[in-house]
Amino acid sequence: MLRKILGLKVLPRIVLLLMCLVYFLPFYWMVATSFKDNAQLSSFPPSIFPSPLVWRNYVDAVNYIPFLQFLVNSLVLTAGATLGAMVSNSLIAYGFARIAWKGRDALFYVAIATIFIPFPVTLVALFDIFARLHWIDTYLPLIVPTFFGQAFYMFLIRQFLMGVPKELSDAARMDGANELTIFSSVILPLMKPAIAVVAIFAAVNAWNDFLTPLIYLQTESRYPLSIGLQFYRAEHTVSFSLLMAASTLVVLPVVALFFFFQRFFIEGVSLGAVKG
Amino acid sequence: MKKTFLWVVAAAVVLSLAACGGGKVSLTFWTSHTPPDSDTLKAMVDVWNKANPAIQVKFVQVPGSETDVAKLMTAVRGGTGPDVYFLDRFTVAQRAAAGVLTDITAQVKKQDPNLASQYVPYAWAETQFKGKTYALPFDTDSRVLYYNKDMVKAAGFDPAMFDPAKGPLTLAEVQRIAFRINKTDKSGAYTQVGFIPYDTTFSQGWHYTWGFDFGGKFADLAAGKVTPTDPNIVKAFQFLHDWAKAMGPQKVQTFISTYSPPNNPPQQNPFLIGKVAMMVSGDWVLNWIRMYAPNLSYGVTYIPVPNKGDKPSTWSGGWSLVIPTGSKHVDQAYKFMSWMAGPEGQKAYTVGTLHMPTWLSLLNDASLFDPQHLFFKQILDISYSRPPLPVGALYWDALTQAENEVTLDQQDPMTALQKVADAVNPQLAQYLPLE
Amino acid sequence: MTPANRRNLKNGLLFVSPWILGFAFFQIYPILYSLRLSFTRYSGFGNAVDIGLGNFIRLFQDPLFWQAAYNTLYYTVLAVPVGVVVAIALALAMHQRVREVSAYRALLYLPSILPLFALSFVWVVFVNPRYGLLSELFRLFGIDPPDFIGNPAFTKLGLVLLAQLGAGGPALIFLAGIQAIPRDLFESAEIDGAGALRQFFGITLPLITPVILYDIILGLSYGLQVFTQAYVITAGGEAGASTAGPLNSLLFYVLYIYKTAFQYTEMGYASALVWVFFIISLVMALFVFRWARRWVHYEA
Repeated sequence: MLRKILGLKVLPRIVLLLMCLVYFLPFYWMVATSFKDNAQLSSFPPSIFPSPLVWRNYVDAVNYIPFLQFLVNSLVLTAGATLGAMVSNSLIAYGFARIAWKGRDALFYVAIATIFIPFPVTLVALFDIFARLHWIDTYLPLIVPTFFGQAFYMFLIRQFLMGVPKELSDAARMDGANELTIFSSVILPLMKPAIAVVAIFAAVNAWNDFLTPLIYLQTESRYPLSIGLQFYRAEHTVSFSLLMAASTLVVLPVVALFFFFQRFFIEGVSLGAVKG
Repeated sequence: MKKTFLWVVAAAVVLSLAACGGGKVSLTFWTSHTPPDSDTLKAMVDVWNKANPAIQVKFVQVPGSETDVAKLMTAVRGGTGPDVYFLDRFTVAQRAAAGVLTDITAQVKKQDPNLASQYVPYAWAETQFKGKTYALPFDTDSRVLYYNKDMVKAAGFDPAMFDPAKGPLTLAEVQRIAFRINKTDKSGAYTQVGFIPYDTTFSQGWHYTWGFDFGGKFADLAAGKVTPTDPNIVKAFQFLHDWAKAMGPQKVQTFISTYSPPNNPPQQNPFLIGKVAMMVSGDWVLNWIRMYAPNLSYGVTYIPVPNKGDKPSTWSGGWSLVIPTGSKHVDQAYKFMSWMAGPEGQKAYTVGTLHMPTWLSLLNDASLFDPQHLFFKQILDISYSRPPLPVGALYWDALTQAENEVTLDQQDPMTALQKVADAVNPQLAQYLPLE
Repeated sequence: MTPANRRNLKNGLLFVSPWILGFAFFQIYPILYSLRLSFTRYSGFGNAVDIGLGNFIRLFQDPLFWQAAYNTLYYTVLAVPVGVVVAIALALAMHQRVREVSAYRALLYLPSILPLFALSFVWVVFVNPRYGLLSELFRLFGIDPPDFIGNPAFTKLGLVLLAQLGAGGPALIFLAGIQAIPRDLFESAEIDGAGALRQFFGITLPLITPVILYDIILGLSYGLQVFTQAYVITAGGEAGASTAGPLNSLLFYVLYIYKTAFQYTEMGYASALVWVFFIISLVMALFVFRWARRWVHYEA
């Protein structure tokens, strides 16, 4: 009897707590370091709890770079990229999953194949394209492509859609509805959770991406926070606690985003990836 | 009718005046430097802009590192590159060979046919490729042996031994002291170390450091070959190998992983916190000591030499100013560049950042250097620079791999260095002749 | 073609058109361009010189190519299965019927959204051989802590461990898969006397095989293209280029391509490296799909 209670209630909680502790540590460490001053940073081994708490680091971090400007830029970029991901991938995945047409699967596999193309060389050619369009130093190369779908997200939503019963679509078709209506009235409401998943992934990726903005942006006032973080690393020094303070600030919005979307997220993926 | 016509004429006049401009040109200047150095640069640019209304320079800070120039390259390719760029001098030959830089030989000649003589010789040498000039030298540095006086004393030696007036110490002497300072704990792991000559995580124990120290020659430009198997370089690597073996290669690695992991903040540099008694490093450490370890009792001296009586040496790096390909205002960019890299610009930079200039006459101005820096300045006379090669980065990486193999006791020096030659020479061959 | 089929074809293409257009504008040109470059010698500037199969011949003789390929395959072969197991374990943890489970889920997902940049800094502290928490853990079990930073034999393993901190993302997808399994299946198994372990292997596992496949394919592409962690961990240190870890043990393939393209300015050779990689990864993916047919159970 005791064993059963232990097994059902206590043991899972202990294991869960241990795992959470391990996974929480990196974030804790980042925040703890952000409150240390030079003297504390120099001490070896590093202390677990900063004392005193140097709140000043946050003020300095925000003043070290044009923090507010970069924040606004990040918000704009992320909003744009997320919108693009949500809109395009739903439409595209619908086409790959809910309509039966000749050549569909072959084309889909081509799309999946593109997941395996490494970026360095295509980066250069892509830059050439955008240079010719005079899109360099604008947000266009960072946002416009997201409106044309990305294989990873297409794959995800498509898996989800393959699990929704065919009869739903067939019935609507027999009633004479055109495909666009079926998409918007019948299927889209069911897709909301899956789209929320894509939204979170796309938002997190856009928020943290620093390589693409680095390549395409040239005016400092247009940089997002992800590039801003790079400025704390000088040639022979690293403003460590400032970097950690800045990183903490950069992470907070995403954490908030997660808590907000958590609801949709679980539900959504639930209906999704199980089906083939 | 007449009124309209007058307006049109007036407009046309205004427009054409605006077009001729007064010839105002706008340049962009990129650097990957960060504060505080970039603050000094920005101040210098402001000074220029005030004095030169016809050539206005926009200062842009671009994250990056010395040899990673993905951003520069994509921008230049796409026709959106900067007019002036701050480039690590070591990579000038390589970027010139790749076609990234504008040839400024003509502009140099026009400014001063003897410009070369105004600069430190090794610095000027690095700006050349195939007989043409591609850059103007900016600042420079040098490397010395730092030693912790307290730790040396505690091991029973007199720190006065290190006084540079006595000339360089021999490696054997240094080893004796260093091994006496080594301390381990119960498990055998090092808790304190005298000297790790080949460490590159917190110090400058590079292949070039010791290769030059042993009198080795890294390349034969006339023959178009790199020469890592030069007998003196092999000797240098043998020295590193033996030192590593004597201390236990993996144990040293563990010490380094413990006290000098990747991205370790300078506040925790093992020399600064008293875990390592001696290290070879550059003049930037002076600033660190001032900021993070002001009470450290230390001194600087020559890098130790293999045999008594050997002449000491060091090597220098530094930055330069270049005009990337595709700039539409080469002459104006050159004007700006030559001011920055000239006596006025370099003086402002030296005063503001405590780096050393490459303009010879400035080096003779003692007022620009605080006492601690003087030694670094003195040894510029015996300083080498790395050979300007179109495969500079490749060679560096290959040498580093070889140094790793040798100090981890995975390979003997000759074989490791031969591999370097085999990897690099075929690539170098594409660019021949070099002179 | 029947009118219905023709209409479906038209509609299908219409919906998929954004992808087709994007592919045509932003991907076909770079792909073909890189293919063409792979047969040339090109610094990125000036003219591209045709050298036929020169790059490919050089590739097979290049010890760094083999090193990079080895490092990448080693890492992938380790990281993918471990990743799947850890993600499933996390998903099971997130599935427990306890009140505060949503807080647990958030905490387990947290490291996946930290910038990898900052995460790597933190990681380096944790694996410190003397004072790192992970090292203490090893010592607790009486094992000498391995040096994940300085010992070339352990650096990749270290990165695999670091990657598990990011298992929160795939875990959430597995969680959903587990939650979709009808509860009565478990209830009837319980009645038949099957224990928790039996239920997991008999019911849960088979029914989440489609998700496992999805995670393997994704893990495969991430593993083969691992770049950022190694780049962040090794891009630092004193003046000069880095070795990508002791003895180049962290020189991963895409990192090598990146170095070749931008540090050594050899776009032609880099392109050849890209294509060899691409073909090999497609072959691997194909094998995974074929092999998957044997163990993936799709719901009827």
